Amino acid sequence: MKKLMTLTLVLALSAFAATAFAHSPLCDCFDNGDGTVTCEGGFSDGSSASGVKMYVKDGAGKVLQEGKMNADSEFSFKKPEGGYMVLFDGGEGHTVEVNGADIVE
Amino acid sequence: MKKGIFAAFALLAVLALSVPASAHFMMVYTPEIAKEKGGDMDFRMVFTHPAEAGHTMDMGGVKEFYAMYQRGDSKPKKLDFMKYVKEIEWKNPESRNKAFSALLPKKEVRSMGDYTFVFVPGYYFEKEEGVYMQQITKVIANVGGIPGNWAEPVGLPCEIVPLIKPYGVWTGNVFKAQVLSQGKPVAGAEVEVEYMSHMPDLKSNTMPAKSSVDYPHDAFVTQTIFTDANGYITFGVPKAGWWGFAALGVGPDTEYKGKELSQDAVIWVKAVDMK
Repeated sequence: MKKLMTLTLVLALSAFAATAFAHSPLCDCFDNGDGTVTCEGGFSDGSSASGVKMYVKDGAGKVLQEGKMNADSEFSFKKPEGGYMVLFDGGEGHTVEVNGADIVE
Repeated sequence: MKKGIFAAFALLAVLALSVPASAHFMMVYTPEIAKEKGGDMDFRMVFTHPAEAGHTMDMGGVKEFYAMYQRGDSKPKKLDFMKYVKEIEWKNPESRNKAFSALLPKKEVRSMGDYTFVFVPGYYFEKEEGVYMQQITKVIANVGGIPGNWAEPVGLPCEIVPLIKPYGVWTGNVFKAQVLSQGKPVAGAEVEVEYMSHMPDLKSNTMPAKSSVDYPHDAFVTQTIFTDANGYITFGVPKAGWWGFAALGVGPDTEYKGKELSQDAVIWVKAVDMK
């Protein structure tokens, strides 16, 4: 009986793991043309990115700004002066980096 | 007796002539519906026979052109594109007529997600049959890979709702969809299927004379399938490219200006070869 329980648990866990791998994180950002940038995120299975941590870093990797995806899976921030990148941090294996140079209107 | 037979033959001949060789299709075309990144989207709306680059018809103007946009499970948004609709002249090898274009700038369609484009034309009068036609047409595009409302009905008077991601169809896949009229499945509806065998040229607003398909018989030009008891159609997609499905006379409106009206639901999907 105990063995069966363990087996079920293992199966349940692997089912979870499979789900986690079946979706990939996606994030795209746009220059709003008013000194701000908006990033939109989500997952390839359609699930929400609401609450996902967002970091804006400079060329040296120093965090300039941080926040979270809002209820609409959007995150807006003030555009930094120099070179920068945006990190969408959906947890291990679920990160997306967007280079500031690729963020246009 | 002889006279009777002659009359019957004459009637048959007239009937045969009045049956069109290919189907009328509201073509709503844009080159790519599975887009990696948002960018300008150029559309052409032509009422024609896409399998044969045939007769072009006056669709009677444009009533609506918009998209229902959704990213993931966020709230769907209606994006109105009427301001981008322009009248053009479309030229097929042996026919030309009024048609429409719409160049949507990147800012309108840059966000990741599904865009269910809806095009509602006016009414076309088919003189030979004395009936009006209106084909309410959908084409569903995706930007960036985050899915949205592709499987949701828009709530049109009549529409075809896909059960397979319509912008992610491989050649050889089965296209499955449900035909709805006022939100309810239509059993036994006749659905015509055509392949776009003369790819539209958006620069010259033309279809070339050369076909990419050799049709052995008229039955292959316009294939006919029927919805099952629950309004579903299934269709194995044999070739990469654009496939149009038109559910005939399924809409709730049956009369326009005192004449019979066929209110049809059309959807276009694009199949891609596995490489």
